[in-house]
Amino acid sequence: MDKFTRQLREDAANIDAGISAELDSRINASLQNVTPESARQRTPATRSPLFWWASSLTGIAAAFGMLAIINLVNLGRPGPSPQVQVQEPVAHIVVPELDLEVEAAMLTSPLAEELAKLQADLRRAEEAVRDDVRIDF
Amino acid sequence: MRQAHGVSDELKLINAAKGGSVEAFTELVHGYRERLFRYLLTRCASHADAEDALQDTFINAYRYIATYNPQWRFSTWLYRIAIRNAGRLRSENVAELGELSDVSNDPLAHCIAESERHNLWRNAKRLLSEEVFAAMWLRYVEDMSIKDIAAVLERSSSWTKVNLLRGRRALEAEMNNGAQDPGSEAYG
Repeated sequence: MDKFTRQLREDAANIDAGISAELDSRINASLQNVTPESARQRTPATRSPLFWWASSLTGIAAAFGMLAIINLVNLGRPGPSPQVQVQEPVAHIVVPELDLEVEAAMLTSPLAEELAKLQADLRRAEEAVRDDVRIDF
Repeated sequence: MRQAHGVSDELKLINAAKGGSVEAFTELVHGYRERLFRYLLTRCASHADAEDALQDTFINAYRYIATYNPQWRFSTWLYRIAIRNAGRLRSENVAELGELSDVSNDPLAHCIAESERHNLWRNAKRLLSEEVFAAMWLRYVEDMSIKDIAAVLERSSSWTKVNLLRGRRALEAEMNNGAQDPGSEAYG
């Protein structure tokens, strides 16, 4: 046990947590008035493995039966021809007029400022590293 | 061997309590009373709140004992209920009384002797969030595993590990600061 753990345990033990007789009797009295709720009845898996095998086989047989019936019913009947829907061209498309008289610099200036700040940070970091290297070696 | 006997006795008491025996439940939780109360004193706004939280914890535990899953330690389950109760009482008090920053009413201040005021748990209460404090307590006082702590706090094991490490670093830094500067407020 390290010093930190020992200190924490000792400090916890120094917290006075005595249960008063009054609290003790209060807890006991309140417990007398409580009725435990019964556990919800969970359906236990008590069925035999034979049951699961039988139900699986029945399911598979039913699936094959359905496939066979569908294939027999549709045998020889031509399938529906695919219908191609041709959309009519839109008569009038209104293109909104965009106000393009915006200075490019206005849009890019926040990014340019951020870039300049990042470059300055980088320069400062490089200088700090250079100074460290000079001092160390 | 003794521990194995203890666990089997505990299971017997749990089964009896599930059958409706108050006596078995009282005997079962007897050993946990002071441990839980000590924790609740660190988390509740007042001594009275800690007592109420302890009482509610035992009432809820007895009422829902049928839902207890023996794959977890009984203390893990009890702590989970206690932490919820402490949190609920705290939020009710905040809703009724506003911010709970009344240092003079802090039960920890009354439950630690004057000579022991340099108590790390007081710093932990000040420095750490409620969940990280709980994780630290369960780890270092209750000696719970990461898995159990994660279960109590309903968090992932990764979260638990990371926050235990952060909590430890914060408290170690505080401990070292206090050792260097005895006149500082860090331990008061």
